[in-house]
Amino acid sequence: MDVLRLATVLETLPRERTRLLDNLGRLRREVGPITPELSDALADHMRLRHGDVHEVTSFYSFLQVPVDAVRVCTGPVCDSRGGREQLGAGAIEVPCLGHCELAPVVLHGDEVVGGVTYSTNDGASLGLARRDETLADYERRGGLALLREPLALERIVAELSASGLSGYGGAGFPTWRKWEAVAAEAGPRYVIVNADEGEPGTIKDRYVMELRPHLLVEATLLAARALGAMEAYTYIYIREEYATARARLTAAIEEFRAAGLLEGLSLDLVVGAGAYICGEETAMLESMEGRRGMPRLKPPFPSQVGYLGRPTLIQNVETLAHVPAILRNGGDWWAGLGSPATGSPGVRLWSVTGAVARPGCYEAPNGIVLRELIDGYAAGLVGEPGAIVPGGAASGILPPAALDVPLTREALTEWGCGVGSAAVQVFPKSYAPLRLLAETMRFFAEESCQKCTPCRIGNRALHHVCEELEHGRAAMSRRQVEEWLDAMTLTSICGLGQAAPYPVRNAFERWPELFAPLGPATLGEPASA
Amino acid sequence: MIEFTLDGRPASAQEDELLVHAAARNGVFVPTLCHDDKLDPYGGCRMCVVGVEGSSRPLPACATRVSAGMVVSTNSNVPQLRKTLTEMLLSEHLNANPGGRPNELVDLARELGAEAPLVLPDAKREPYADRNRLMGYEPDTCILCNRCVRYTQEVMQCSALSLEGRGPEARIVPTWERSWLDTECELCGGCLSVCPTGAIYEKFLEGAGVEERQLEQTKTTCTFCGVGCQIDLNVDPETKRIVKVTSKPEYVSNEGDLCVKGRFSFNFVHHPDRLTEPLVRGEDGELHPATWEAALAAAADGLKGVIRRHSAQAIGVLASARLTNEENYLIQKLARIGLGTNSVHSCEAT
Repeated sequence: MDVLRLATVLETLPRERTRLLDNLGRLRREVGPITPELSDALADHMRLRHGDVHEVTSFYSFLQVPVDAVRVCTGPVCDSRGGREQLGAGAIEVPCLGHCELAPVVLHGDEVVGGVTYSTNDGASLGLARRDETLADYERRGGLALLREPLALERIVAELSASGLSGYGGAGFPTWRKWEAVAAEAGPRYVIVNADEGEPGTIKDRYVMELRPHLLVEATLLAARALGAMEAYTYIYIREEYATARARLTAAIEEFRAAGLLEGLSLDLVVGAGAYICGEETAMLESMEGRRGMPRLKPPFPSQVGYLGRPTLIQNVETLAHVPAILRNGGDWWAGLGSPATGSPGVRLWSVTGAVARPGCYEAPNGIVLRELIDGYAAGLVGEPGAIVPGGAASGILPPAALDVPLTREALTEWGCGVGSAAVQVFPKSYAPLRLLAETMRFFAEESCQKCTPCRIGNRALHHVCEELEHGRAAMSRRQVEEWLDAMTLTSICGLGQAAPYPVRNAFERWPELFAPLGPATLGEPASA
Repeated sequence: MIEFTLDGRPASAQEDELLVHAAARNGVFVPTLCHDDKLDPYGGCRMCVVGVEGSSRPLPACATRVSAGMVVSTNSNVPQLRKTLTEMLLSEHLNANPGGRPNELVDLARELGAEAPLVLPDAKREPYADRNRLMGYEPDTCILCNRCVRYTQEVMQCSALSLEGRGPEARIVPTWERSWLDTECELCGGCLSVCPTGAIYEKFLEGAGVEERQLEQTKTTCTFCGVGCQIDLNVDPETKRIVKVTSKPEYVSNEGDLCVKGRFSFNFVHHPDRLTEPLVRGEDGELHPATWEAALAAAADGLKGVIRRHSAQAIGVLASARLTNEENYLIQKLARIGLGTNSVHSCEAT
């Protein structure tokens, strides 16, 4: 360790606990991987306990590895396309790097090996195919008008309500309700953009940030102004692996600042350090406050008690990015982009990856039929499909027979699945469902924050059960497995543990023969939330 | 007081009372592992989940406050959930009793008839050996309830233990896996006292292997300083020797907290060098047993002799740190009025 370098960097680091994660990231980039000595030096500088910094440092995957490390993605899509073969000496295995359309993905430092290409379309709401290079580009397309002549909050809430926009991070909570709830609380309030996209197979937020960063910045500022977050602060919490998105957002924010559009507002990036769970909103708040990213007990919800105990609007990148189009053209117009009559208003970004001809990120109507999405946007299937995951790791597993299902909450519920983050992953027939299931459970086990028993132990056990089944062995009986799944769904603190059982239950249903060694299924309804 | 319903019967609770306490006062015991009244509600082990009408999922009784009209159930699926959660914890509980401390998980398992259906292949944690002579830690007994860590952070405000890592490798270790002697730890043993499974335990040879519950407890006051901490001397019923010191949260002056001396320094009681009666040095230069009257008279004579030969200013009085305020008051009175010296000091001041 270069002690002189450390002393110089330390001097410049802020002492507020909320800056702990940022400080650790800077130390890692500018001095080296965080060792116990570095951690203690930072703790002394920030007047924190050594243990506090130890707990935080060890929680994240990347703080103790060099910045130029080779990171190999072994998420399900990459694994099905030979990701593990890329694992060389010294390489670090990472569950999902968010570039699944380029699978298998390897990062060398911040760079994606082989470069990044985009495959998208020119949708009416987000128009990702036309990339904004500068703020002027963005303004020429009609951007900034809303920021210059802000609408009243009531009008915004009314338009959002008419649009039917709901959270696209996975939970699907109606957006207007969130805005209304936060506005109803006494200020000051915070606005936080959740750009910690980490759901395997999901690439959409990265597309928005890399192709249309100004759009996201404007949408964020609109929210801040509408909610009177004037004197307070606005943050974008972005995952560490998204270096390009980070650079583009930083540049865009600077352009806004130079143009005087940040007057009275503060917009900062908070960079994660490799922890899927920090995409869970309360875990994100903990992470931002300088603690381990372990979810809080709810209620209270962040709209009441959020960042630093203040009412906080937390929105996913894509959700927020749709807001300017809705406000410009009206909620009804936006709803009409989908099929509001059938309960699927508006459009969303679908990340389509795996065994398709043109993997990428496409804006398409809500409720689109799976086959239409694959054929009409991703240029069709490649080879014979096996398992299809409709919306991210916990959204469940569909069989090829479900290709003609409309991707709506209702239709997918019938298949025991959910739309989740709209990350459609097509696996080739050669990729065994049990392998997919084992990989999925391994992912949940490794990403579990360890706070609650059912998630902490249940996911590890299920991973083991799946691996044993691959060898035809039963680690637990079917009855026991189902009891454990129930306990996970019902007693886990956050969505990770609550939703992790879905793919297992789907597989029970879809491929009962694979689970024969576990013995007979029990009678009775599985627990539902 | 507010009214609520517990298992179909009317019950009352104080405003904002934790459900786990309200249930207990109404005769319904809700098991907990990660909960400790000294610490902020955590809701991690989930053992205390109960059904609450209007909530789609059961809620942790240790972190949920009773509200008027709340309808709470510990029947329906709650017993099964408890049993499953216990099975989960048992599936990585490789060592149930490293040091004779009570193990609440094992008790609960016995009560619920829960057994581990499997042993997790990654259950084995890296062993931890600490060179200190007082406290041992067996990671394979830990259930990651985080009570010890939260105790160090919330009660002792020190950095001794950390919840390290994420995923299957996560574990509790002294900060950066150092010896406790190299952290801020003062070896107060508080972490040990809040551990529900006995993963952190006393390293004593004496009494090792005797379960804490089989020891006879005698409540007394710690003699080490004037705080007056209430302690329980745990006596081996066979040998009648003190083998450990514990304390209870309901003890008023210290609420169950102790310092390193109070918890670990009791060996003097049985030490062969311990003085158990007054001794006075005789003409032959040796110490001889004496009565208190004779001993005090000898001391008084000695002091008077010094005053006579060198004046009272030749005497200084050094009071023990073990004295109470009242005793310290008497000491200075003895010094100033009885002996006539203003040179009074307490070793606590250094």
